[in-house]
Amino acid sequence: MNSEEKFDVIIVGGGPSGLGAAYMLAKYGFNILVIERGGRIGSKNIFGGRIYSYAFKKIIDDFEKDAPIERWVRKERLSLMNDTDALTLELSVGNEYNNSFTTYLSTFLRWLAKRVEDLGAFILTGVKVDKLLIEDRKVTGVLADGDRFKANVVIDAEGINPILIRDARFREDWKPHEVAVGVKEVIKLPKNIIEERLNLGDDEGVAQLFIGYPTKYLPGGGFLYTNKETINIGIVVRLDHAIKNRISIYDLAEDFRQHPYIKNIVKGGSVIEYAAHLVPEVPQYNLDKLYGDGLLVVGDAAGFVLNMGFTIRGVDLAFWSGILAAEAVKKAHDEGKYTKETLSVYKTLLEDSFIIKEMQLHSKIPSILGNASLYDNYVKGIIDVLKNIYAIDDNPKKISKLMIDILHKHDLTLIDLMKDLLTVFMNV
Amino acid sequence: MSEKRLSVEERLGLNSFVIDKEPHIKVKYEVCRSCPEKPCLYVCPAHLYTLDQQGNLHFNYEGCLECGTCRIACPYGAVEWNYPKGGKGIHYQFE
Repeated sequence: MNSEEKFDVIIVGGGPSGLGAAYMLAKYGFNILVIERGGRIGSKNIFGGRIYSYAFKKIIDDFEKDAPIERWVRKERLSLMNDTDALTLELSVGNEYNNSFTTYLSTFLRWLAKRVEDLGAFILTGVKVDKLLIEDRKVTGVLADGDRFKANVVIDAEGINPILIRDARFREDWKPHEVAVGVKEVIKLPKNIIEERLNLGDDEGVAQLFIGYPTKYLPGGGFLYTNKETINIGIVVRLDHAIKNRISIYDLAEDFRQHPYIKNIVKGGSVIEYAAHLVPEVPQYNLDKLYGDGLLVVGDAAGFVLNMGFTIRGVDLAFWSGILAAEAVKKAHDEGKYTKETLSVYKTLLEDSFIIKEMQLHSKIPSILGNASLYDNYVKGIIDVLKNIYAIDDNPKKISKLMIDILHKHDLTLIDLMKDLLTVFMNV
Repeated sequence: MSEKRLSVEERLGLNSFVIDKEPHIKVKYEVCRSCPEKPCLYVCPAHLYTLDQQGNLHFNYEGCLECGTCRIACPYGAVEWNYPKGGKGIHYQFE
């Protein structure tokens, strides 16, 4: 490629947000270049296992028909887990409920990249962007593998490690309380065994979250998602808590896999991959840090992940932030300049979108989820109460007294329980 | 098979890597010598930070999952972290 060539837009990173921006910009007819450091699209991308489909359906007409979907999530499970037991709540929905699906993110991204290329965009793989080119405080392009690539706007979709914008002093690096560490194992099993063990139909999948044991009773959780012939299991734990409690993160995935509940599900399967990734857990957004002269920041680099306790969303938010960045570029183009002022429309677009609306609506959730006893005494206490209620022996007990006694054993009172329940209810 | 507990080394052995000659992460060991906490020893998901019998810190960039945890966990900025060169490092296949 001629390194003297100037593009309208350069997108750093070919993940969900970068390809979202690329898709929309290419559709608008902009001359764009996507630069991806992975040897091929998807080789550096990690997620838990589930994607919500609505954002993609809005943009891509034949999405459901053509996208590489493994299973539609028709069973949502939430489990409290102690060292040996699990208490599970399940929502099982009937057919034709195509709200979210499981897939391989790498396969999914390669499919999306093909769509982007079909629209005429260039995607360069195996090339790392070393730094942003800045002239008179304006981003004018990137330096990648020694070549200079110039553009009117650079969209930073570099992912959770914001090295480029940190080095260019647009933002500071993450602090331990702003991220969680995720580890994940992919386990291969025959299709029929997965369906039998998890009570699934042919194209049906399960999304299950766990709290308690997987994180050693610290804030965070475990997850399980089913593909056709693989099961993803993993753990996400807040980094500040992991540091404080000296948690051996490299042991977490295996401890979880060896738990009696998980062990039976994945029996006979083989682990085929082990991955790790950071997840943003940003308490407060500063949207003014996401645009500058010739620059927009999208996806994980912007911190767009929504942890609602019963589900975690990242890929759809990343994709949509890319779409909005493309809209912002289009509007700035119509104004005839790509300054901080014209690109600030990105902030307005974000505020008017479901991304920020959802985050504001659920802004109290992080503080509820930050309540450490939720992951510890509550999990242990509630399982203990139920275990005792279900246990029958020659020593009859009054259920209410049993509950109070057991809660007391776990340093909980009925008053605490009511207060915490009310707090949850008032804030979700 | 699955029933057996796998060490982190065994699990890293399942992954596909294109190892670069140059490390993409540089550790300032002189800073680590006076670090009492050394969170890197336990938070790295690939367990690439270890101590020898003399108590000196060692880091092996081969096997790095490129998550960035060590950089953020290090209280003294001793981890000079960068992405590996284009096409190098971990090559995830089943994510």
